[in-house]
Amino acid sequence: MSDYIRRLPVYLLLDCSGSMAGEPIEAVKQGLKTLLSELKGDPQALETAYLSIITFDSSARQICPLTELMLFKEPQISAGGATALGGALKVLADCIKNEVRVSTATQKGDWKPLVFLMTDGAPTDNLDEGIDALKRVSTGNIIACGAGANANANSLKKITNNVLMMNNLTAGDMAQFFAWVSSSIQVSSKSIDAKPGEAIQLPPPPQGFVIVP
Amino acid sequence: MRSGEVISAVLENGANIEFVFDANAPRGGMKHTFFTPDRKYAVQFFNEPKDARNPLLQDRIRTITGIYNPTVSEADGGAIGNTEKTAEYFRQRFCWPVAIVKYPEFGIVCPTYPQNFFFGSDASTVLNLKGKDKKSNWFTGRNRKYLTTAERGDFRTMLGTAISLCRSIRRMHQAGLAHSDLSCNNVLIDPRTGSAVVIDIDSLVVPNKYAPEVVGTRGYIAPEVLSTMGLDFGDPNRALPCVQTDLHALPVLIYEYLFCRHPLIGPKIYSKASAEEDDFLALGSMATFIENPNDTSNRPPDLKITINSLSKGLEKLFLRAFVDGLHNPSERPTAMEWERELLRAWDKLVPCANPNCEKKWFILRDDNNTVCPFCGKKASDRTIILSFKREMPGKKGVYRDKGEAAVFDRMPLFDWHIFSNVHNDEKADPQMRAYVAFHNGMWLLVNSGAEGMMSPSGRLVPKGSAVELKDRAVFRMSAKENGLLCEVTVNNC
Ligand SMILES: Nc1ncnc2c1ncn2[C@@H]1O[C@H](COP(=O)(O)OP(=O)(O)OP(=O)(O)O)[C@@H](O)[C@H]1O
Ligand SMILES: [Mg+2]
Ligand SMILES: [Zn+2]
Repeated sequence: MSDYIRRLPVYLLLDCSGSMAGEPIEAVKQGLKTLLSELKGDPQALETAYLSIITFDSSARQICPLTELMLFKEPQISAGGATALGGALKVLADCIKNEVRVSTATQKGDWKPLVFLMTDGAPTDNLDEGIDALKRVSTGNIIACGAGANANANSLKKITNNVLMMNNLTAGDMAQFFAWVSSSIQVSSKSIDAKPGEAIQLPPPPQGFVIVP
Repeated sequence: MRSGEVISAVLENGANIEFVFDANAPRGGMKHTFFTPDRKYAVQFFNEPKDARNPLLQDRIRTITGIYNPTVSEADGGAIGNTEKTAEYFRQRFCWPVAIVKYPEFGIVCPTYPQNFFFGSDASTVLNLKGKDKKSNWFTGRNRKYLTTAERGDFRTMLGTAISLCRSIRRMHQAGLAHSDLSCNNVLIDPRTGSAVVIDIDSLVVPNKYAPEVVGTRGYIAPEVLSTMGLDFGDPNRALPCVQTDLHALPVLIYEYLFCRHPLIGPKIYSKASAEEDDFLALGSMATFIENPNDTSNRPPDLKITINSLSKGLEKLFLRAFVDGLHNPSERPTAMEWERELLRAWDKLVPCANPNCEKKWFILRDDNNTVCPFCGKKASDRTIILSFKREMPGKKGVYRDKGEAAVFDRMPLFDWHIFSNVHNDEKADPQMRAYVAFHNGMWLLVNSGAEGMMSPSGRLVPKGSAVELKDRAVFRMSAKENGLLCEVTVNNC
């Protein structure tokens, strides 16, 4: 019997610039591991969430295409280079265009994609080009998280209204961030019952994270 | 407070309870949960201080914990008419709040879910599920394939699970309570043993008490609730959770247990504007049963096992729930009707002859047809049906049907197969009284504890002896008061 389960596409955009080298990038790897195992323990997330990872340094690329959790392979990531955040948004827009099924008269479309962006610096390329590209595709919640002292809240604010700042780039903070991403995905996969078009209420961010108004 | 720190709390009844603080305590939409050091109880607090301080919410939860509590005997302050025996019965089937915390703040104490509702280490070979709670949708959606076959149960245990759930919901509704958020998340099931436990009891709708502000869970919300969700709480046109909306969620769960699919999610496209809009209509104002006989627009092209594979009684109830009652709440069958019809179907279960059949059991819908609907194998060349009749009070020799059972080797019989005044419910004695045995080419009904069983020729059948089940044999299951008459029919097919 075929099933008619809609997918919840989840895109993670991860900063892998040189400043992430060392402990931060190791914490990201660990965070991804935990994220995956948590989501696999939640029946609704396991059934509906599909995960993709886009990394950016001096350029941006999709290193994991949108994949169901059971088939998801942990990516190899390393840090080095600049912060092509604008490029990452362009890649994201392309991926959404190619991977997310739209609703048509003959096809059941996917849920609006959920996007988590994590960066520890300011963009070194043309951010506006990326923002323009992103405007041309349909997304659900976009959450941008600035990590550490050098993250630039203003540029993140241009991308989305949902901006969080974490003060440190420590392993503990990174772990908390991924735990929060995990519970946000779990909440989203359950509460896709909201009225059409309404944003999904995500859980409150972890302690020590500041919401940028 | 540090994780691991033991905190002392005071209950409203004056007793003390300790719980272990945990910074990463599981946090739901409303509450977060800690455990007592022995993990026998969960101690839950509200996420929002305004909920914890709301006197109306507190009052409602006090009533739930007290006079509406089916897991505590009346003598101990629980529901009226509740005996210790029925209280114990429902303690296995509800995770019902047992006490209220007043210090450090308002909270509730519930027993920990029974152990069999947590996965063991052998539940899956591809996922690490040990210790996770057995939410229904592990077993009914496509996640099912990640579980070991033992963990998935079979058709019989899934039917048993449905009966267990219906009984709990019937008990609630009987007291006027509505669960209001019945869903795969709030019913844990154990298909290995065929049991269910209903959790999240604190958001019940209690008669004449301030209603909880819950909407429900996607896939289980009644269509009228979903389609009026945009209106204000006070708006008279807004449909709120109540007994009738439970009576939508209940058959959705039953249908999922029996068919491992959702009754409303099919191929029909309701809106091409967005997935969200489509879903809102598909589960709301335009919802269509995938098996609606009059409207096949949502019917998956490859449906093989359908409600026609169940008993005729269950088929009728599903049509009432998902065709007549889908948009007309007053037409929905009650939990009691579901319980009764599922029990009838239970007595018509027969084993499949195919050792590789995934479902292992099926309901004998037609006494002359023993083909398993799941795998297509014919089970046997004959069926033996026991028809139980009760004598009408004051009218000697006038009998009414009390039910039927399809016979298989080692089928157990209970008091409700013997006495007209006993029903298969929480009050009945679960002790086996007789069983069927296929022995030396003969089908026998062996008395293992029925007082006063009689043979067709009217002689007493003492414990340890048997009656042969021959076509048209008629005998008393018990000569005692209220003893049923049993008529045997053998069908060759
Ligand atoms: N009685 C209990 N026994 C064992 N674990 C429990 C118990 N109560 C809660 N839990 C644990 O806490 C988690 C969340 O509990 P709960 O059901 O209260 O939250 P929820 O249903 O997600 O949300 P809400 O707060 O809206 O009810 C559960 O998934 C379970 O792991
Ligand atoms: Mg719950
Ligand atoms: Zn079969």
